[in-house]
Amino acid sequence: MEGKKIILSLKNIGLFYKRKTGLLRHDKFWALQDVSFDLCHGETLGIIGKNGVGKSTVLRLIAGIMEPDLGEVIRYEPLRASLLALQVGFIPHLTGRQNAILGGLFLGLCRSDVEALLPRIIEFSELGDFIDQPVRSYSMGMKARLGFSVALYADPDILLVDEVLGVGDVDFRKKSADALREISKSNKTVVIVSHNNEVIRSLCDRVVWIENGHIEGVGPTDAVLQQYQQAHAAVVVSDAARPGKAALEAGGMRSEA
Amino acid sequence: MQAYLDLIRYKVYAELSAEAARTFLGILWWLIEPVLYMSVFYLIFGVMFQRGGEGFVYFLLVALVVWKWFDSSIRNGMVSLETNAAVIQQVYQPKFIFPVIVVLINTAKFLFVMLLFLLFLLISGKQPSISWLALLPLIGVQFVLIAGITSLCATVIPFVPDLKWVVDNGLTMLFFLSGVFFDISALPEHFQGWLRLNPMAVLIEGYRSALLLGQMPDWGQVFWVLLFACILIVVAVGVFTRYDRIYPKLV
Repeated sequence: MEGKKIILSLKNIGLFYKRKTGLLRHDKFWALQDVSFDLCHGETLGIIGKNGVGKSTVLRLIAGIMEPDLGEVIRYEPLRASLLALQVGFIPHLTGRQNAILGGLFLGLCRSDVEALLPRIIEFSELGDFIDQPVRSYSMGMKARLGFSVALYADPDILLVDEVLGVGDVDFRKKSADALREISKSNKTVVIVSHNNEVIRSLCDRVVWIENGHIEGVGPTDAVLQQYQQAHAAVVVSDAARPGKAALEAGGMRSEA
Repeated sequence: MQAYLDLIRYKVYAELSAEAARTFLGILWWLIEPVLYMSVFYLIFGVMFQRGGEGFVYFLLVALVVWKWFDSSIRNGMVSLETNAAVIQQVYQPKFIFPVIVVLINTAKFLFVMLLFLLFLLISGKQPSISWLALLPLIGVQFVLIAGITSLCATVIPFVPDLKWVVDNGLTMLFFLSGVFFDISALPEHFQGWLRLNPMAVLIEGYRSALLLGQMPDWGQVFWVLLFACILIVVAVGVFTRYDRIYPKLV
């Protein structure tokens, strides 16, 4: 990490969700087990892994939304983390403008700051006059653009991106990808969760690979991505007896490689 | 801290204005709804059962107005964490702001209706007396009571969602026992003590004394209600603090 300052550490994190298994019975589903890694100032960290709830949970732990059940999250300085998810708590019958203000307030800005940022937020979202229409009349893409715009301008210390880059039309996707690239290159700390290895490869300095709640690899992007692809190639080979699944994996692999 | 106050203030304003904009008659409904609600009770108890004597309308309305505030706040506030599940899982805020916002919204609507009720009293020829000033402390105490019960329910329900139905039926039962459509002092002595254990019964009697009888409420009893309410708030704050970052897993 060449002298970069560590701003946050996850140490031996364990987190479970309760699951109902019958009348009056619950069991614990461990979403994360013994997860540890550091986050350095100014780096862009990628989190990859097969579908499951672990990756999003990690983002929420970093954001301070949840506390782990085991282990701890150490913050070496006061940090504001902003989760760039699709709709930051939008209320359907309120207008885009009102939701943008709400979003900003939720992200910890005070009223005057939000109002000052509002023109730029509206401009980036490209919503134009729709900004004064209720959000329930928006398409998914419009909601995503507004959410992205608010979270971006809230200017957090750590920007947490959860699979949000695939929404909107081609122009907006490009714009958001460019914005993200700008931020990644700057000295802002970014954590990106994505299934798209291209995005990870182009934006991230380091990658954490989490699967089934465990860490399978931590390190420089190329190294970990290679590990990941090798592991999944192995899966394809061993499933050769089942043509359906193998074809699915092979198809998936091809678009990612 | 300032950001949270801004957030609460903005959310209350936004919800109220959205409610007003959503329906055809807008804020008129804040008046019409209570009037409709009260007409039903008046029709059944005042006209059909001939329960009231003179002045039964006012006797009934005073209680219904303050009860509605109590009831709506708790019903909506207790599920406020569930209602806001999406935003709770996306960004950190102290969870207590959610029931607080609900209580404030219902309080705003209550104050509006109470004002109209006072106007109604004046128009009907009731003379305002010095006892009307007792309204302020009564409303203050009721606010603390509502905040306390609502917050406490809101802390517990994410853990045991079944309690929603317990509270639901509890409120219905409490409604019948609060002397909304009967006079507690007209009942046999041994019942009165039990019924006055219900904080809302105490407050309703207080409101009636102040507004209709020109007398001061029983401040001793009101004080106990305040004490009880403060304890509830302390407990609620404690639970919220302890489980603040656990709630996102539950909702």
